[in-house]
Amino acid sequence: MSDLNKSIGQAINRIDGLLKVTGAATYATDYVLKNTVHAVIFKSTIAAGKIKDIETGEAEKAPGVLAVITHKNAPKLNEKGGVRGGALLQSQNIEWYGQHIGLVVAETFEQARYATRLIKVSYEKAEPKVDFEKHKKEAIAPKDNHDAIRGDVDTAFGNAEFKIEAVYETPIEHHNPMETHSTIAFWEGDKVTLYNGSQIVNGAQGAAASTLGIPSANVRIVTPFIGGGFGSKGGQWANLVLAAVAAKAVNRPVKLALTRQQMFNSVGLRQRNHQRMRLAATKDGKLTVLAHETTTHCAIDNEFVEPCGDCSKVMYEVPNSLISYRVVPMNIIIPTYTRGPGKSTGSFALESAIDELAYQLRMDPIEFRLKNEPAKDPSNGKQWSSRTTVQCLQEGAKAFGWGKRKIEPRQNQQGEYLIGYGVACGTYPARQQNSSAIVKLTRKGNDVKATIELAASDLGTGTNTIIAQTASDALGLAVNKITVKIGDSSLPPAAGSVGSVGAASFSNAVNDACEKITDELMKKSTKQFFVRPTVANLMVSENLTAFETRADAKAPADATNYSSHSFNANFAEVWVNSLTGMVKVKRFLAVTGAGKILNPKTARSQIIGGNVWGIGMALTEESILDPRWGNFVTRSLADYHVPSNLDIGTIDTIFIDEKDTIPNKLGVKGIGEVGIVGVAAAVANAIFNATGKRVRDLPITPDKLL
Amino acid sequence: MRPFKYSASTTINSAAQLLSANPNARILAGGTNILDLMKEDVERPDELVDINRLNLSVVKPITEGVNKGGISIGGLGKNAETANHPLIRQNFPLLTQAILAGASAQIRNMATNGGNLNQRTRCPYFYEVSMPCNKREPGTGCGAREGINRMHAIFGWSESCVAVHPSDMCVALAALDAVVKVQGSSGKVRSIPFAEYHRLPGEMPEKDNTLQHGEVVTSIEIPKNNFASKSYYLKVRDRASYAFALVSVAAAIEMNGSGIKQAWLALGGVAHKPWRAFEAERFLAGKAATADNFRQAAEMEMKQAKALEHNGFKIELGTRAIVLALTRAMNGGTA
Repeated sequence: MSDLNKSIGQAINRIDGLLKVTGAATYATDYVLKNTVHAVIFKSTIAAGKIKDIETGEAEKAPGVLAVITHKNAPKLNEKGGVRGGALLQSQNIEWYGQHIGLVVAETFEQARYATRLIKVSYEKAEPKVDFEKHKKEAIAPKDNHDAIRGDVDTAFGNAEFKIEAVYETPIEHHNPMETHSTIAFWEGDKVTLYNGSQIVNGAQGAAASTLGIPSANVRIVTPFIGGGFGSKGGQWANLVLAAVAAKAVNRPVKLALTRQQMFNSVGLRQRNHQRMRLAATKDGKLTVLAHETTTHCAIDNEFVEPCGDCSKVMYEVPNSLISYRVVPMNIIIPTYTRGPGKSTGSFALESAIDELAYQLRMDPIEFRLKNEPAKDPSNGKQWSSRTTVQCLQEGAKAFGWGKRKIEPRQNQQGEYLIGYGVACGTYPARQQNSSAIVKLTRKGNDVKATIELAASDLGTGTNTIIAQTASDALGLAVNKITVKIGDSSLPPAAGSVGSVGAASFSNAVNDACEKITDELMKKSTKQFFVRPTVANLMVSENLTAFETRADAKAPADATNYSSHSFNANFAEVWVNSLTGMVKVKRFLAVTGAGKILNPKTARSQIIGGNVWGIGMALTEESILDPRWGNFVTRSLADYHVPSNLDIGTIDTIFIDEKDTIPNKLGVKGIGEVGIVGVAAAVANAIFNATGKRVRDLPITPDKLL
Repeated sequence: MRPFKYSASTTINSAAQLLSANPNARILAGGTNILDLMKEDVERPDELVDINRLNLSVVKPITEGVNKGGISIGGLGKNAETANHPLIRQNFPLLTQAILAGASAQIRNMATNGGNLNQRTRCPYFYEVSMPCNKREPGTGCGAREGINRMHAIFGWSESCVAVHPSDMCVALAALDAVVKVQGSSGKVRSIPFAEYHRLPGEMPEKDNTLQHGEVVTSIEIPKNNFASKSYYLKVRDRASYAFALVSVAAAIEMNGSGIKQAWLALGGVAHKPWRAFEAERFLAGKAATADNFRQAAEMEMKQAKALEHNGFKIELGTRAIVLALTRAMNGGTA
């Protein structure tokens, strides 16, 4: 029994690993439905204006074509129903290049795609607003992000002896999950089933229902496996609903899979951020000013602002502070949540600026950070439920060999390579969101098994596995006695795999349900127990063959009285080729305090994934728009450079042993987002330490280091 | 993709005849480029002539003719097999390095040598069919000339086209003075010196090379040389693998005592064709192999370069890359 009680915290393999490596795991388009036909989207080739006309006659006559749907014949949909970005074929208006303007349904994918090429569209063009450089001065204060001001930044900055003022630029990035956004829609009467990778199962259900104008109960979302999302499958996009529209039109199941090229203007992006930083400190390294002013862009008719100032709000004790946003609507698809939203991009600016100021003071950047460690959350005065920044920095410094670093740059050279060390911190809020779960027990003889059901989602992060581990501990059953059913809106409603809330919300709901079922079984029993029995004992002793219960879990009532976050410290060693400017991150270390780590193996993978994207953000990733027409010239994974294996050296992860049950009963803080936060700054700081060159616009490609 | 006819041939002659009979037919070999282009509607052939069954994949010593003593590689040989063939590794490590610097392992396993020569540019305006592109659709203009052109040419471009040839393999073949053997429907074999195989865009950017419609690349001959131990392929790119060159350099040096007898230099990522750096080569002949001479040679070559709005860095990068490639070639061809 003692081993069984320790499943949480064990680095067990994914329970769905075999399904994945054998190809048996069913992703959205893997469902084989009889008579399925295929839909292919076609897109606008201008960024602003109106469709004058769409000629579809030739396409309709093409072999295999069943329907062509455009704004002329699409059913009326509720455009405010929760689908992000619109593009629901409801009008002639064009707001960005590559906006969906129609789709063809045909017997085969190839027939549908061919027919899209027979469609002739005429436009009434307008001057597109796609050049951020040109339009950023038109940015205005957003509706929902008010300036957060403390003290008097301008006076304190003016009087400061040690200060830096600099602008940090981050480019448009794309999520690029391996699985492109894809949907199979299948109507039975007035009910529709949508097989669709959705990070928030109930969110997808609600958005589809509301947009289609049917009750939620008539929409079922099925998404047991997701091939990555990184935020792009958090909101719902037009493909989800258009597949349903197409299926209705042809009265057959319809499969709609976006191509990789279509992904760049169909499912959101991380927008370009222009971040002006002003930091000042006293001679002995106490921060006196931290101003973080972000200018960015949003959709023409829909505001979304990535909260780049979030880290600046909570990381340091500083009397004079300003966090502000300005945003300009442009003819670019609406930005959306992208891994470490606001924190990854914001921490690049903040943690680079901290490094710059530390260098100006000729102070070790770790020492500088430690001097400005806030006792309480500076943004709201709340107590930390726990804060591990100091431990992350100190343990990381020791493990990384930080002591060997020289404060002056260009002190470490081997042949044509300049070697540098960099450090940067990060944080992400920890929250538990409402989730329900059902536990079903069955028994044959002495063999008791459990099935756990909830509408959670697994992005590939290991949700299935941690749910099984949680249930295993709470029920006293081995992991292989537990079946996990998630990714289906017909199951009890649950939070999404977004914003690092998934693990905390799912595991606590499952734990509650498992404790509840044990309590209920004990209540049923007339026996007296000296130690808490397992459900298996109880099922046997009460001679039950089946028993189930449901729990509706919420965060602890006093959780909001505290400020709860995951924290990290990132350490990078870079080798910069002094002749070619090519950079290799030879070693990377992420030290993370994220509360209870449910499974160190999947957690490590999560952190490594975040680190790799952070390295990509620092060195390679950028989506480039043609400033004349608004099309992306980076239009495939050959142009949009995610890091390759050869770009990544060793990555080590350390988790701080942390017990914090204030945010939730199990003390789980979440690691999905924090893994990328601070990474780009650590790399950029290391590049400065190696070369003496401070690059403030990402990515740091070879040309910027010549 | 658009409907097309699929034809398969088993002899060079029948392949050449099928191609000649249809001006809108294209060759299908490894398919790593043509199929992508068809899916994106960039290439719109109405017939594909599959030549995979032709016996054209042999790597063998050349026993007669002007290139006697050299090695012949088949037009249908796979890039990966060619790179790793013992005769190539031993005699032309420069070619091995260049091939392995290109694409990904999976693509190299599929892609053929002839196809590598004939692959199209990766200019995004060429790929995005709604954009102007004189190469794809003559007369529509060049989207990149005034657009995003960081990856584009600094040598030999025209107002019609600023695209670059994407190959790494071809940069090495240019430096190696390779000869392309092609055969048409008449059965006649032509030999095209590598420097004349690819074209500069001029007013006809739609034409990448001097291969005539109906001709098949049967083999590539690489003459014997004396610089196997002093050659190096350097590729500078935005990420360490699976990225096209910002600038690449194939460098080889044959010494004569302590001086350079002759140097061979070709650049990739800078022009519509592999750019043979003849100016630099001429300067280096007879000079001492010093960093200073390398630098002077590189600067001399780069003087002819003309940058576009976003690729000015390629001039300094190209200069440095030439020096570094020559230095590494002198050091025995290792980094």
